[in-house]
Amino acid sequence: MDQLPNLGREQEMLTIMGLNSIDDIFSNIPEHIRRSEPLPLRAPQTEEEIWHDAQRLLGANIDLDSRPSFLSAGLARNFVPTMVGAMATRGEFLTSYTPYQPEVSQGMLQAMWEFQTMISELVGLPVANVSMYDASTAAAEALTCAVRVNGRKATQKGVVYVSQFVPPHRMQVIENYLQGAKTEIRILEHSMDGHLDLKAAANAAGSCAVYVEQPNAFGELDAGISNLKSIVGENTAVIVGVDVVSLGLVEAPGNYGADIVVGEGQPFGIGPTFGGPIYGIFACAKRYLRQMPGRIVGQTVDVDGKLAYTLTLSTREQHIRRHRATSNICSNETLIALMGAMHMALLGPEGLEKLARRVAASTEATKQAVLSIEGVELVDPKAANFREFAVILPIDAAVAVSFADAAGINAGLALGEWWDGMSRCLLIGCDERTSQSDIEALVSTLSQWISEVSA
Amino acid sequence: MSDIFSFNGASGAGWAQPDPMLNESEVNATIPDGLKRSKLPAWPNASEPELVRHYTWLSTRNFGIDTGFYPLGSCTMKHNPRINERIVNLPGIDRLHPLQPEHQIQGILSIFYEMQEMLEICSGMDQVTLQPVAGAQGEFTAMRCIQEYHRENGETHRDKVIIPDSAHGTNPASAAMCGYQIVEIPSRDDGRIDLEALQAAVGEDTAAMMITNPSTLGVFEPEITEAAEIVHSVGGQMYYDGANFNAIIGKTDPGRMGFDAVHYNLHKTFSQPHGGGGPGSGPIGVKAHLAAYLPTPLAARRDVSESDPKGVGDGYWYTWETPAKTIGKVQQWHGNAGAVVRSWAFYRRYGRELEKMSEHAVLAANYLRHIIINPDKETLDSVHAMPVNGVPADVVMHEFTLSLSPLVEAVGVTGKDVAKRLLDYGVMSPTLYFPMIVPECMMIEPTETESKEVLDKFAADFLTILGEDPDLVKTAPHTTDVRRVDEVSAARNLILRHPNGTE
Repeated sequence: MDQLPNLGREQEMLTIMGLNSIDDIFSNIPEHIRRSEPLPLRAPQTEEEIWHDAQRLLGANIDLDSRPSFLSAGLARNFVPTMVGAMATRGEFLTSYTPYQPEVSQGMLQAMWEFQTMISELVGLPVANVSMYDASTAAAEALTCAVRVNGRKATQKGVVYVSQFVPPHRMQVIENYLQGAKTEIRILEHSMDGHLDLKAAANAAGSCAVYVEQPNAFGELDAGISNLKSIVGENTAVIVGVDVVSLGLVEAPGNYGADIVVGEGQPFGIGPTFGGPIYGIFACAKRYLRQMPGRIVGQTVDVDGKLAYTLTLSTREQHIRRHRATSNICSNETLIALMGAMHMALLGPEGLEKLARRVAASTEATKQAVLSIEGVELVDPKAANFREFAVILPIDAAVAVSFADAAGINAGLALGEWWDGMSRCLLIGCDERTSQSDIEALVSTLSQWISEVSA
Repeated sequence: MSDIFSFNGASGAGWAQPDPMLNESEVNATIPDGLKRSKLPAWPNASEPELVRHYTWLSTRNFGIDTGFYPLGSCTMKHNPRINERIVNLPGIDRLHPLQPEHQIQGILSIFYEMQEMLEICSGMDQVTLQPVAGAQGEFTAMRCIQEYHRENGETHRDKVIIPDSAHGTNPASAAMCGYQIVEIPSRDDGRIDLEALQAAVGEDTAAMMITNPSTLGVFEPEITEAAEIVHSVGGQMYYDGANFNAIIGKTDPGRMGFDAVHYNLHKTFSQPHGGGGPGSGPIGVKAHLAAYLPTPLAARRDVSESDPKGVGDGYWYTWETPAKTIGKVQQWHGNAGAVVRSWAFYRRYGRELEKMSEHAVLAANYLRHIIINPDKETLDSVHAMPVNGVPADVVMHEFTLSLSPLVEAVGVTGKDVAKRLLDYGVMSPTLYFPMIVPECMMIEPTETESKEVLDKFAADFLTILGEDPDLVKTAPHTTDVRRVDEVSAARNLILRHPNGTE
């Protein structure tokens, strides 16, 4: 136990206070609720012992870099530039709190203002916040924000529409966040080809919001979504969930009428890290700004007229507005957003495009290679894909995943885990690090499995 | 003064990447017509050498615990051991996907299980989930579980949540997000819970009470079990806001106090770095009757069998488990696993001696309070007015409140002025104007990782400020990167992004 500077000096401090023992400072805790026995926990360890155990336990995991992996499903097996970790873990950033005292927090405030600008540019909307917890809570809070803004003018009061092809874990988060205001969630249907059914989408006109993903849960890009705003109208928010990397090639949703754009920021800044900490991006049109959740940094001046940054529009937030706040969010994912900003800045505009090209290329190359296997078909043969695509296998995809796993390959996600009726479907995820030999290994193991099961 | 958009490197000359697997036209063919990006985002064109300098410069304009004393009440700004950062860079956590099969993630599952169990033991709860990623999300998650519990029992009429007026703002915000109406009850003059007001507020419509203990005033509520009895007697549930958990580990626990659900702030009590506002981690623990409603999945274990592949070697096989009546997900994966791993490493440092951590946190707070409010005669004569205790109390827990009202009355110097002046002395300001029930409130939490010398110096500086020329204090800070920032103008004239690209 080496984290206590006053260890061994307790008596000295107690004496100054005119007290005798540590028990004196806990005298307000009534006897009947005191713990009298020691905590039944293990003995303290030194840093050296903790490192040893961490290496042993975390070393028992099989990490994605140790084998060909096609498991994505919303997280990217990315490469994060070394500068990012080196700069973000500088103690002044790492160990600071929310910048309530702007005079000594200009560094993080400016970095977040620059982050807001980069996200705003990326998605084509004028304002962005400092981050949400993840893509799912960003989507959920985009919907609650839209209900607050459009609730009065909506002809379908308290109703939002959500795409049929939103991953089920995200749908559960949305349901948890929306049930409190008794918002009704209706499903926006897709056609047989996987694209949004634009005729059915007309039913959403006059509701508070529609939420769609571009690409959708199967990695499918859908040009029809760019017509959605004209279909649902001015007073229905079009909320688009994006793959942030895809926006190096795919049009920014703000440029085709999206009112709010959300998404998983993780590909910029941090590894998949077992699903957290990651960060959700949240950007919106001006009309939604005052009902936006989360922290926002604004530029201003100090008393000498010197340029300065500060948190602003705080009156939306829980510490001021309490139960009437736009959200309960307090701690967010600032440090991870900072890492994202560093990564985005290193990429620059052309670097972003190149990264998107690398992912698009590996997706297409993997798709063509997997399709060459006899007995494998695309779920949606005509769809354009980014990062992921879904195929139908001759029998249960979960068995194929286990077979590949035994051969040292993570083949993807068996979609039966997400949707009943898709047990033969496999979601294959690619990224900028997918190599030709990874693809050959995947094709080889799937071919072998198919020839064994069809024999 | 510079910003990141002022770098003028040539297009594409920055950080280099390998080439795509396919050529340009092959890639272009994968993007549907009408969806091709029309104009790339106006991001900076900068190289690594420039950006390292930019972010280093920004870091020098930011104050963290590493920079100096950070007595921000309610936030538990303790030292963040650096081994924890080294550990989360191991590929066994950084390069792990939450959907990998169980046999590939035995190590992280064992750490999750150990953390669930440790938090259960420290809080007197029966089941913990690590999924909520912040304290506020923990509150929301627990209130959702309580809500489903009442619904399952056919008690849908319970639509009110009782919250003391001294509560953190997240409490009412989280309950309101679940659809609850908030009933705020006033505290007594001494800041403690008013049992009569509580008795008058509870009824058949009570879903739960949300409260923290020690309270936001840093004082333990001795009548907490009586409060729990009142709430339970009408069928309500007791929710413990764990923001102040650092004060009580090993001394008592929410289970003994009569609570049914609790959240923990790993970024406070267990040293996950705050990172300028996050990430946090807000696991919750519940008593057995609420366990079936927790978000999915939970880490579980069974004895290892011969057919199992290699595990972590402790005789157990770790698995995921779905609670029977789960509310589903609140975060899309398994929570902030990186924060859980850091906090695991922090916990391992103390083990069963976590009680010592709380003892030293409470010792530091009482010591600092004592030396601030009992200065020597010379100092006493030199100040314009002494602060008074936020609430009367012989001893406090891990934090304490002071009211600076006497100073305002004497020379017109406000709590905010003193807070800004403290920045000139190289320390972070305490929490200001919270809880709102104390006028000109300053809430001070030193934590266990500050030495006696740091506390002595802070008290001396603080008392010096109280005797300084009022004009000097009212115009503070004077030595910081920028001086007092115009927040009103920031809100009135919104400049929320750089004009780059929109000019």
